[in-house]
Amino acid sequence: MNLSGILVSAKPEHVMSVVESLHALEGVEVHQVEESTGRVIVVQEAEDIRAEMAGLRHIKTLPNVMMAEMVYHYIADDNDVYEGIPPELAEEEQSEPCAVPAYLHD
Amino acid sequence: MGLTRRDFLKTSIAASTAATVGMPLAKQAEAAVKGAEAGWQWDKSVCRFCGTGCGIMVATKGGKIVATKGDPDAPVNRGLNCVKGYFNGKIRYGADRLTQPLLRMTDGKFDKKGKFQPVSWEKAIDIMEEKMRWAMKEKGPTGISIFGSGQYTIHEGYTAAKLMKAGFRSNNLDPNARHCMASAVVGFMQTFGIDEPQGNYDDIEHTDTAVLWGANMAEMHPILWSRITNRRLTHKPMKVVNLSVYGNMSSDIADLEIIFSPSGDLAIQNYIASEIVKRDAINHDFVKKHTQFATGPYDIGYGFRPKNAEKFHTAAEMEIVKNEKVRVLDKWEAIGQRRKEGEAVEQKNAATPMKDWAISFEDFKAALEPYTLDYTAEVAKGDPDEPMDKFKAKLQQLADYYCDKNRKIVSYWTMGFNQHQRGTWVNEQAYMNHLLTGRQCQPGNGAFSLTGQPSACGTAREVGTFAHRLPADMVVMNPKHRAIAEKIWKLPAGTINPQMGSHFVKIMRDLEDGQILFSWTQVNNPWQNTANVNHWIKAAREMNNFIVVADAYPGVSAKVADLILPAAMINEKWGAYGNAERRTQVWRQQVLPPGEARADIWMMLELSKRFKLKDVWGAQKIPGLEAGLPDVLPAAQAMGYTPESTLYEVLFATPENKKFKWPDNAVAKGHGNHVADLLKDGWFPEKAMFEEYRQFGTGHAHDLAPFDIYHHDKVRGLRWPVVLKGDKWVETQWRNNEAYDPYVKKGSGFDFYGNNGQALVMGDLDKPGDPAKKVDISGKAKIYFRPYASPVEKPDANYDLWLCTGRVLEHWHSGTMTRRVPELHRAVPAAVCWISQKDADAKGLKRNDLVWVESRRGKVKVRLETGGRNRVPRGMVYVPWFDEGVLINKVTLDSTCPLSKETDYKKCAVKVYKA
Repeated sequence: MNLSGILVSAKPEHVMSVVESLHALEGVEVHQVEESTGRVIVVQEAEDIRAEMAGLRHIKTLPNVMMAEMVYHYIADDNDVYEGIPPELAEEEQSEPCAVPAYLHD
Repeated sequence: MGLTRRDFLKTSIAASTAATVGMPLAKQAEAAVKGAEAGWQWDKSVCRFCGTGCGIMVATKGGKIVATKGDPDAPVNRGLNCVKGYFNGKIRYGADRLTQPLLRMTDGKFDKKGKFQPVSWEKAIDIMEEKMRWAMKEKGPTGISIFGSGQYTIHEGYTAAKLMKAGFRSNNLDPNARHCMASAVVGFMQTFGIDEPQGNYDDIEHTDTAVLWGANMAEMHPILWSRITNRRLTHKPMKVVNLSVYGNMSSDIADLEIIFSPSGDLAIQNYIASEIVKRDAINHDFVKKHTQFATGPYDIGYGFRPKNAEKFHTAAEMEIVKNEKVRVLDKWEAIGQRRKEGEAVEQKNAATPMKDWAISFEDFKAALEPYTLDYTAEVAKGDPDEPMDKFKAKLQQLADYYCDKNRKIVSYWTMGFNQHQRGTWVNEQAYMNHLLTGRQCQPGNGAFSLTGQPSACGTAREVGTFAHRLPADMVVMNPKHRAIAEKIWKLPAGTINPQMGSHFVKIMRDLEDGQILFSWTQVNNPWQNTANVNHWIKAAREMNNFIVVADAYPGVSAKVADLILPAAMINEKWGAYGNAERRTQVWRQQVLPPGEARADIWMMLELSKRFKLKDVWGAQKIPGLEAGLPDVLPAAQAMGYTPESTLYEVLFATPENKKFKWPDNAVAKGHGNHVADLLKDGWFPEKAMFEEYRQFGTGHAHDLAPFDIYHHDKVRGLRWPVVLKGDKWVETQWRNNEAYDPYVKKGSGFDFYGNNGQALVMGDLDKPGDPAKKVDISGKAKIYFRPYASPVEKPDANYDLWLCTGRVLEHWHSGTMTRRVPELHRAVPAAVCWISQKDADAKGLKRNDLVWVESRRGKVKVRLETGGRNRVPRGMVYVPWFDEGVLINKVTLDSTCPLSKETDYKKCAVKVYKA
């Protein structure tokens, strides 16, 4: 699980329509809106970073969104998050540790 | 209805995000933050990744990092973070983190062909001592080397420089920054006589035009890009131009995208200059008062091995390497250099590429004449499918921006310019156009070199961890500079080796031909990041030498090493970085390194205890230096040292340095220091080294504030020179500009004081004239004429495609760290080869096919990509280099800019075929 805090900016006259589009996105919650400056705080929950980044990109392309960037990241302290070892290293673990791997040769 | 843990967290994250960007909080939200963050300790830190230098707040609890957020008070990023910055807290926790020293052994003894086995630190340092003694006995001080880093903390870089240059008297210390911004450095030094940008990131909010030259900012510097995007959306006249050899994410908001051919940038810059001259857009007053026209030789080679190349290269490689001796000019460089096509030009200045001399404005103008719109468009059009008239119209539009006197303009670049066979030249051309129009060193106006690494500026450049450098822009070849360093370092005169050491690629070549026998890698991955790497892997594994690699994770370099040292990472030690706008920023140790991992500075200090003055300060032989290095032991004794004094006592734990006590609660505020704790000497090495280092720049336009000032709660880095005014340490926003820079002569307006006391011989376009006739260039910048030169290797019938390499947003550099963050790894798990749909069709290939990318030097297997974020033109492929499973540097060419010795990773010839 990935939780991130994102700042979204829109022109003040468009902010409510942006909020409406944000509401429609899966995993996205609008938490705070500042109408005078067009700033919106959303929290995005996503399965993994692929979904998280796709989500951020999606937000960036919503009509009237001027800018969207991450601000806050919560580091979930559970083992699942740290489990994914790059595959070539996982393979290596089965053979001898830290040998010069075959892919370094031709 | 009660809140679940997840709801609670979300409310807290929203509230923290709002607070970070300065939005008022609801009462209920404040309570949630207090609850969720109970027992957390927040402290300021800096992002460990690119050269932007974003501020990051780090929260710790119970010895672990629990959250990170953008620092709202950091002027660079104002609370925002890009996806890399966002994972700073996570890079520590990869499953394969190195936690104990590993030595190749058989039957309990070191064996180069043995397998890695854990050893104690004691044993690790024993074998390093033994092998260094052996290397120095065989070869003298030049038999040892350190691969340093643009990711070194300032304290680490300074310690390495002092250990090597003052202790071992070896200048074979060179950072990976050589691969990333050496061309920028030489461009600055030749043009202005002082390194690093005069402007700063605030230029973005002042300018009307941002021109990107080979800098994909949207992916590589996303936070600066968000500032440019914001300017583009809120300032009507703002225009963004993206010049690149392939279409990328930065083109998305660009008003003008110009796809140019490899090295075509050299011609485009001269075309702009010729338009500035033709349309009289010159700022005559500025040019007259503050500049001098200059040029240099064209026959400077390509940075290959100067001697015995045949001995080390295959016949296929020699087809290209032979250009180091003689270059047969092609049509376009013949026109651009006023020569004849097919002329064989002996590369007489390959060893002296830095030569330069003054020329008249008339000569400068004449040199630009060949660079017409027609010529430039023919040379520089990068997309064969773009109509010529459309490309010409774009070039004219670009020239219009540069010629419009009412338009403020900033030119940005990174690796596209720097990793270039004529990288220094193309940097100098950028200054040429800004100086001609008098738009340099002012808010919103200037040519600005961005950096790729977090402390390429702060450490590699300012501390001077290069083979030729000393701190504060000084060099080992200059006797006055050596004397200054010997005085601050309290060394006998003549201790420092006056001969430039081996640069990064040359250290590899020295390992290959047996000149260097001992090599230590710090914060860096040389066997992944050096071009033509098949040679260097072989040199490390098959030659009789000893390779030490300190790293946090087992990257390629660790795997080819003989000894692996487990290194502490950013928040596990005290540190300081300097970013691309001269901003020095610091952080405290937040958590302890895992297992037996230790900071690099501790490793160097421990090793320094093993060597005594009698081991290193006697007479030494230096190849190429007839007299060798003098015996300075008698002089050392006169200074109060003894032959039995250790390097630790003489260089580091000196009486002056030991005055900086640890613990130092005024600065530490409860934070630990594992280095000081392990040394058990009661001193604070990071603070002591910083304060000693500061002496080099103070009063010499490189002034830094005291260590404690940077650690003050309210300070978010300061841009040097930082000078004391009253009781305040004041930074400098725009250098060389009287309105901002305290070093500028009053009444001058602009003062390029880096060139004070310098003079150039007057000459013509082809050669310097009478050596007795010199022009004083004190206070002036040079405007260089540099011609177009074609790439040394170009696609042909056999190798029919250009290869360009670079990075992607999610990974950074060799991926040793970012690839350990599972989310980042899943996002872009393996490097792909981007190819145009048309080329794929013509070769009968399709997306996701496994292909070989092969050059004269080597080949790699990789999946093909025809869509996605990069749009390569027909005739080119792009492969990022973060993936050690797709070791693209087996394929790349180790040709460097002859002036800067920085490798060109952006252009070589390959073929692509189905695997």
